[in-house]
Amino acid sequence: MLTADTFRRGLGKGISVTWELSKIVVPVYVLVTFLKHTPALKWIAGFCEPAMRLVGLPGEASIAVVLGLFTNLYAAIGAIASLNLSPKEITIIALMLLITHSLPMETAVAQKVGVSGLFMTSVRFALSVLSGMLLNLIL
Amino acid sequence: MLDWSSFALDAARGSALNILIMAAIIIPIMIMLEAARDMKLLDRFSRKLSPVMRIFGMSSEAAFPLLVGIFFGIGYGAGVIIEAARSGRLSWKDMFLINVFLSVCHAVIEDTALFMALGANPLVIVAGRLVMAVVITYLAGCSKFTDHYQRKKISGGRIRAG
Repeated sequence: MLTADTFRRGLGKGISVTWELSKIVVPVYVLVTFLKHTPALKWIAGFCEPAMRLVGLPGEASIAVVLGLFTNLYAAIGAIASLNLSPKEITIIALMLLITHSLPMETAVAQKVGVSGLFMTSVRFALSVLSGMLLNLIL
Repeated sequence: MLDWSSFALDAARGSALNILIMAAIIIPIMIMLEAARDMKLLDRFSRKLSPVMRIFGMSSEAAFPLLVGIFFGIGYGAGVIIEAARSGRLSWKDMFLINVFLSVCHAVIEDTALFMALGANPLVIVAGRLVMAVVITYLAGCSKFTDHYQRKKISGGRIRAG
């Protein structure tokens, strides 16, 4: 049954997600924008360029990938928002990170269900790289 | 030399703009998700999906928890899975395969909305995740390893949900 309460709950959840998102996206956005104004981002980008090129991403996207893998999607979103990526690059990094993210937390969850965390992590990482390479060819 | 004023302007303007775009997308999406939940759309959909579950080596009971995880995320999904497991409706294999599928493909509405706000193509990311999840779940469902693991789990008497 749809009631006014449905709407109120949805609105409340939307606002709470936006708030949780802001608490992470804003600091990460500020940090990455800071790096962009210093030579540091160029060094990191240059170092990661060869590996990132395999999936059609520029070197600086490695910051978003590392944040997504080891912390969570919100942090990766903050970094992607600050970097100037093309729509194709954003689609590639989005699919890769959606398949594999928040590894420390999700590995723990997998282990609780009785599935090997290391096994699941390796499978997801491989799928993520594979889909990045495929999208780079298709798009 | 670092240009502090241009950095401060970029950081403030950019983060405010991004948060606004995300709020504009995520708030209506959350309202629609709550409406779908109250209309029990997934209950109806999961009945239609039962025959498909057999292809993956899952029971028809697994359809509902799987759909909840796909659309609403692991948080909601885990609650439904634990509930179904406690009442004995899910086998270990069901739970294992739900877990495999959801590890790649969960909370598709919310996650996709957030990346759409950044400029990603929503169709490509939803289809990409679905295809990858279907492939690995199918492989895991067919694999002898899964059956072997299931016998070991059941004889060990340690079926855990979570």
